[in-house]
Amino acid sequence: MRILRNLRQALHGLKLNKGNTFLMTLGVMIGIASLTVIVAIGEGTKSTVLERIANMGFGPESFSVYSGGGRLFFGRNRNITSMTLQDADDIRAMPGVAIVVPRQRKRMRIINKKEFTTTRVYGVSPEWQPARQWKVVDGEFFNDMDMDRKRKVIVLGNTPARKIFGETDPLGKKIRVGQVFFEVIGLLETKGLTESGYDPDDRALIPLTTAMSRLFRQAHLHSIKVVSTSSDIVRQTMEGVTQVLRRNHGLSPLADDDFRFVTPEGIMQWVTESEQALNRMLLLISTVSLLVGGVVIMNILLVSIRERIREIGVRRCFGARRTDITQQFLFESVLVSLLGGAMGSVVGWVLSSSLKYFDFLPVKITLDPFVLAFGFSMVVGLIFGIHPARKAASLSPDETIR
Amino acid sequence: MIKVSKMIEIDSINKVYKNEGFETNVLKGISVSVDEGDYVSIIGPSGSGKSTLMTILGCLGQATSGTYLLGGEEVGKLKDYDLSRIRNEKIGFVFQAFHLLPGVSAFDNVMMPLIYCNKIPDDAQERVKQALIRVGLEHRMAHTPGQLSGGEQQRVTIARSLINDPKIILADEPTGNLDSKNGAEIMRVFDQLNAEGRTIIIITHDSFVSEHARRILTLRDGQIVSDKINENFKEPQAGLARVEVK
Repeated sequence: MRILRNLRQALHGLKLNKGNTFLMTLGVMIGIASLTVIVAIGEGTKSTVLERIANMGFGPESFSVYSGGGRLFFGRNRNITSMTLQDADDIRAMPGVAIVVPRQRKRMRIINKKEFTTTRVYGVSPEWQPARQWKVVDGEFFNDMDMDRKRKVIVLGNTPARKIFGETDPLGKKIRVGQVFFEVIGLLETKGLTESGYDPDDRALIPLTTAMSRLFRQAHLHSIKVVSTSSDIVRQTMEGVTQVLRRNHGLSPLADDDFRFVTPEGIMQWVTESEQALNRMLLLISTVSLLVGGVVIMNILLVSIRERIREIGVRRCFGARRTDITQQFLFESVLVSLLGGAMGSVVGWVLSSSLKYFDFLPVKITLDPFVLAFGFSMVVGLIFGIHPARKAASLSPDETIR
Repeated sequence: MIKVSKMIEIDSINKVYKNEGFETNVLKGISVSVDEGDYVSIIGPSGSGKSTLMTILGCLGQATSGTYLLGGEEVGKLKDYDLSRIRNEKIGFVFQAFHLLPGVSAFDNVMMPLIYCNKIPDDAQERVKQALIRVGLEHRMAHTPGQLSGGEQQRVTIARSLINDPKIILADEPTGNLDSKNGAEIMRVFDQLNAEGRTIIIITHDSFVSEHARRILTLRDGQIVSDKINENFKEPQAGLARVEVK
């Protein structure tokens, strides 16, 4: 077939003009490489967020209320001190509420003799365990009596336990958290690192009352987790919680909430919105970079046509039609663009893998950007090849052969 | 009675080039006809319009006015598709500067016109080999133009011009880039091709070359100033292709 013969001529042309071919691939290669890396980072970030959500122990019937207004993880003011145990008690008294877990949280250093590590220390009520459904594999979880007596007991996650005790059994041992000594009474079941590198086992739990009076020395709460009796009444319960908290905090009808809800639904919405914003940004970046790549191809092809004007003339002398020349140069443009796309994919994959290997950024390598790269390269080659190809074909044979 | 058929008939051909508002009248009302199997040389000083005439005869460019009949077909009315077909099937070109595709083997250079046939002949490879053997380059088939001497390159271009078995060979200063020995060899090839019945038109300013032709046209300032039969022409054995007319 004539079109296949022109494809072969295009391949010959690219092989003979290696310098130009390489320069033409560069633009598309850089564009596609950046596209694949950005997509991999975007996917990685998304999966990190989703894994964190999964590790927050949300079920469809539960939600959390955090102190400080704003949206989800982005509180407007982190120094709000209005959320108290009274709020938790009032919420607990509401109909349809099954479990309420008031929480305090701080990142602190924990020390066993000469070994130490920094971990997230949570002050929680004993209901934390049934609410999170997280088993204790060794020892036991603290109980109401520990709460009442503000006992200095601690339940360790696997990561801090391993870091400061190694192979030694930590149960019954005393460790220092800040300036306060705690007795290790339990070890949490290991969850393991997530794909993105988040470590849910990097935590330690102490009775909330102990945290308030002996360790953090603050009366306000960081958040309250609420489990309702059924997923159907979550929205209704949230409305009730809003009323309780606004009343307790003495907020006027015009004042904004000084707390915010974190729900599985809200998080999903946020992730979706973030993903859409990210996708828009990706589209913009990839479009600009591929436009640049396309313009590079077009310009170099135009220069190449000047250099190869004799070749075009000779082909026309011996029977090449305008369509043959158009096809040959269009094939060259598409092939060079696809080659750039393939090289860009390889470079992008290597860069993404390196980012993942060296743990610089959360990265998830998927097939999508590579399929996209193929499509984009093809389109770029076609669009930006049309003008040079038509220009080459429009040259008059008698002018090209002189 | 024997009648020689007309291969080329041009009548009142004008060619005007327009460049940045200036018009240059390169060919001024040229009328000439060439018989099938004839051996014609077109001579004239630089700027006389020889090469322009060749591009028109070779269907590489169109005349500004006048008519051109090639084998009875009016070229001026043809579209690019048909002009390309004519160049591919009926005309073989030989250039002073060879115009071989750089970096491509002699074999593939000769093969090139076959790529643009509507259907590549089944014996294409064999035809290319035979064409190269015919010009004495059987040992140079895989060589690229850069690896060939000037004479060898010109022989490749002749093989290329013959590959589609055209009836007309148009040669523009075919010995211009060659030494006298290689030039003489190339002219012997043209003589032989004419003896086989092909129409040969050679554009030259070299009197040694023009002396090989049966007919010598002289161009000056875009006009034919002389059209004479070469008295020293040696009638080829095969003679001109002639058609018996009842």
